Amino acid sequence: MRTWREHLPTALLALLVLLPLLVVATAPLHTEAPEWAYVGSELLPTFLGETAALVVRTVLLALVLGVSTAWLVAANDFPGRKVFRWALVLPLALPTYISAITFADLWGPTGRLSLAMAERTGLHVDLLTPSGLAYVLALVLFPYVYLPARAAFSAGMSDQLDAARMLGGGALRRAFRVAFPLAAPAIAGGALLVAMEVLNDYGAVKHYGVRTLTAGIFRSWGGLYDSGSALRIGGVLLLVVLLLMLLGRIADRGRQRGLSGKRLRPVPLRGVRRWLATVWCALVLLASFGMPFATIAIDAFREHALRAALEFLPATGNTLLIGGLSALATLLLALLLSYGQRRSRSRFAQLAGIGYVVPGAVIAIGVMTLGGALTDLSGIVLIGTVGLMVYAFTVRFLALATQPLRAGLDQQPLALDESARLLGASPWRTFLRVNLPLLKPSLLAAALLVLMEVVKELPLTLILRPFDTDTLSTKVFEMARIEQWGDAAMPALLIVLCGLVPVVLLDRLLERGV
Amino acid sequence: MRKLLPLLALLPFAACAPKTDNATSDTLGADSARVVNVYTHRHYETDKALFKRFTEQTGIAVNVIMADDDELLSRLEAEGQNSPADIIITADAGRLGLARQRGYLKPVKSAVLESAIPAHLRDPEGHWFGFTMRARVFAYDKSKVKPEELRSYADITKPRFKGKVLVRPADNVYNQSLVAAMVAHDGTEKAQAWCAGVVANMARAPKGSDTDQLLAIGEGQGEVAIANSYYIGKLLTSDDPARQKAKNAIGVVFPDLNGHGTHVNISGGGVAKYAKHEAEAVQLLEFFVSDEAQQAFAEGNMEFPVKAGIPAAAVLQGFGAFTPDTLDLSQLGLHNADAVKVLEAAGWK
Repeated sequence: MRTWREHLPTALLALLVLLPLLVVATAPLHTEAPEWAYVGSELLPTFLGETAALVVRTVLLALVLGVSTAWLVAANDFPGRKVFRWALVLPLALPTYISAITFADLWGPTGRLSLAMAERTGLHVDLLTPSGLAYVLALVLFPYVYLPARAAFSAGMSDQLDAARMLGGGALRRAFRVAFPLAAPAIAGGALLVAMEVLNDYGAVKHYGVRTLTAGIFRSWGGLYDSGSALRIGGVLLLVVLLLMLLGRIADRGRQRGLSGKRLRPVPLRGVRRWLATVWCALVLLASFGMPFATIAIDAFREHALRAALEFLPATGNTLLIGGLSALATLLLALLLSYGQRRSRSRFAQLAGIGYVVPGAVIAIGVMTLGGALTDLSGIVLIGTVGLMVYAFTVRFLALATQPLRAGLDQQPLALDESARLLGASPWRTFLRVNLPLLKPSLLAAALLVLMEVVKELPLTLILRPFDTDTLSTKVFEMARIEQWGDAAMPALLIVLCGLVPVVLLDRLLERGV
Repeated sequence: MRKLLPLLALLPFAACAPKTDNATSDTLGADSARVVNVYTHRHYETDKALFKRFTEQTGIAVNVIMADDDELLSRLEAEGQNSPADIIITADAGRLGLARQRGYLKPVKSAVLESAIPAHLRDPEGHWFGFTMRARVFAYDKSKVKPEELRSYADITKPRFKGKVLVRPADNVYNQSLVAAMVAHDGTEKAQAWCAGVVANMARAPKGSDTDQLLAIGEGQGEVAIANSYYIGKLLTSDDPARQKAKNAIGVVFPDLNGHGTHVNISGGGVAKYAKHEAEAVQLLEFFVSDEAQQAFAEGNMEFPVKAGIPAAAVLQGFGAFTPDTLDLSQLGLHNADAVKVLEAAGWK
């Protein structure tokens, strides 16, 4: 009875977030799917295969990029290390679809750089292919591996690495035999985020002609006119993610707690290695951020005068307002869930984060179905209100906020709360005066992550917005849909700039050991 | 106290919920301030300018939500009779047929619309009306192909064009509606044979946009592309340096579909089933077929006007005259699923 009562608050909160996803998961009960026999037998096997291929390739590439750069900047000293340390986070500010289209524009079959290269060297590059997409996605998403890997290397393993060095372990052996295995849980968590991002992407896979499960959702929905089958593929996607999360839990089992808090001191590299490290980090940074960012910026100022940026002021304001509200709401919910989970060890909190993997358009169906039903009951119109948009973003991005909060709360031993209680503080006072102040950096990190994602988000914004409300991402979409990439560059640039601020702040916070 | 914590989570929602948008509150005072609420898939500057002109001329304010058509239909479904939408506009006849079939539209009578729009470009009972056309045409490399070699859609499946055909992926709605028209005219088998013929002749795996196919001709990566007249018009009037090579290289033909003419699709709209401003909605649709609006669609957006006597943009006229297929466009929606299956079976990615 006691456990049941302890679980109830978190379970109810989790349910609030899971409701729209339940609409998806229970689709076979309440929707017809006239084309399901065809979709299940003809499309699903191919689409599952291409999804698996893309996820595996992207994750492997992201691991190579993320772990190598993280190890270099955390454990070694070489020219430029201090700059690379924060700059390698910057690709997170680029929305995947914008980055993918920019890459195609540069390195596709008629890309500006591929043509220039073909002219000079006769070598013809074409990145607009399924394997090319894996490179492009890995370049955008590797910071999800880089950040946790860098944090794991920097904090907590200096004793082990010192021991390895004293026992005569060479640099490579220290990395592969000591550091990487110790950091494996953190790296696996990052790899899971990369996989989730690949699964929910639609803009990039469509442009590159790769048929993932998410592409299958849209083919059923828009091509076969069968939203029932689309929701069922959404259900398959949820299953895939549950499987991945289960794998993540297994990886999590070996997670180290209470390693030494000593910060790792970077060892200076010597000779040619010193410059190889610089060149590798510079290449990664240039390919992942420098090139796409420069392209967008150059296009933006070729098509528009600087003052044209002012035209996008209202859209920028809307973007930041909706992003800010969503960040606050998500933060509050994540805080309640993680705090509840801490006391009751409930797993609902983790489950509630599953919305992160579901394509925005599918969450939109769930949220709108709920909103419509509530309006029928109460008469209050919800669809097309900022409130419902904020709710949808909470459903979508909760996982991003719960992760840092859980990590932050894990660092506070329960004995802390108990001491406060023994000294006569109420639970509420304990929470406000003890737990919350200690959690401040984690709270900020969580809010920034959500803000950054909402600024980049497109499909939910597009369909749930009120009349005549533009955000930066809907502005990009308007231009990109009519294949006027040049005109889309200015709002795209503003999205990146809006995203850069939280990204850099986030990096600062993580440096301080959040 | 801790038990009350969950309630806090509801606060932001409660704070935002009553803040309904101006459109819905306007519905109450419809007499004092006349409005029309538009759900549209079209996202063009031309449309924005026309909405503004409409407001200037009639005093009716236009509120717009622009999003993808499938999502818009889902939103209508979820909103049911509480939907604020008065007009639904899409850039695909198939979706309009679907909207009718699902009961999202209501029939309206308008002598203005019926006289301005040819019968095959509107629903016989007035559920929806087409106001512009786009043709699915061939763009070819003028230095390598003679236009006589490309009279019909079937011509690109000939051995002559092996490894020379450029086209975007099967997910694109205009590819689907072209194949749906073939299914409607000649059945799935012939449509599939054509798709297989195209796949056998492809210069590369389908990728990118319509414009990308045109740029590939400019680089000599293929000799003929299937593309939308509207994108070709945009390319031929572009001053982007990266597009000049393609601009100078391509010619355009209107292929024939087994004697039926060139495949066209429409942009069109209908009045929403639960429209609260029906009169204003019809007025807006009628404005779309006025000479002024038809000229704006033609000149500003490179679309073919539906109204007789309004000329297409000069650059489109340069392609020559063409005979549009007069297939009843509701057939496109009925056969879209068949088209998707045919494309998949033929290996068109």
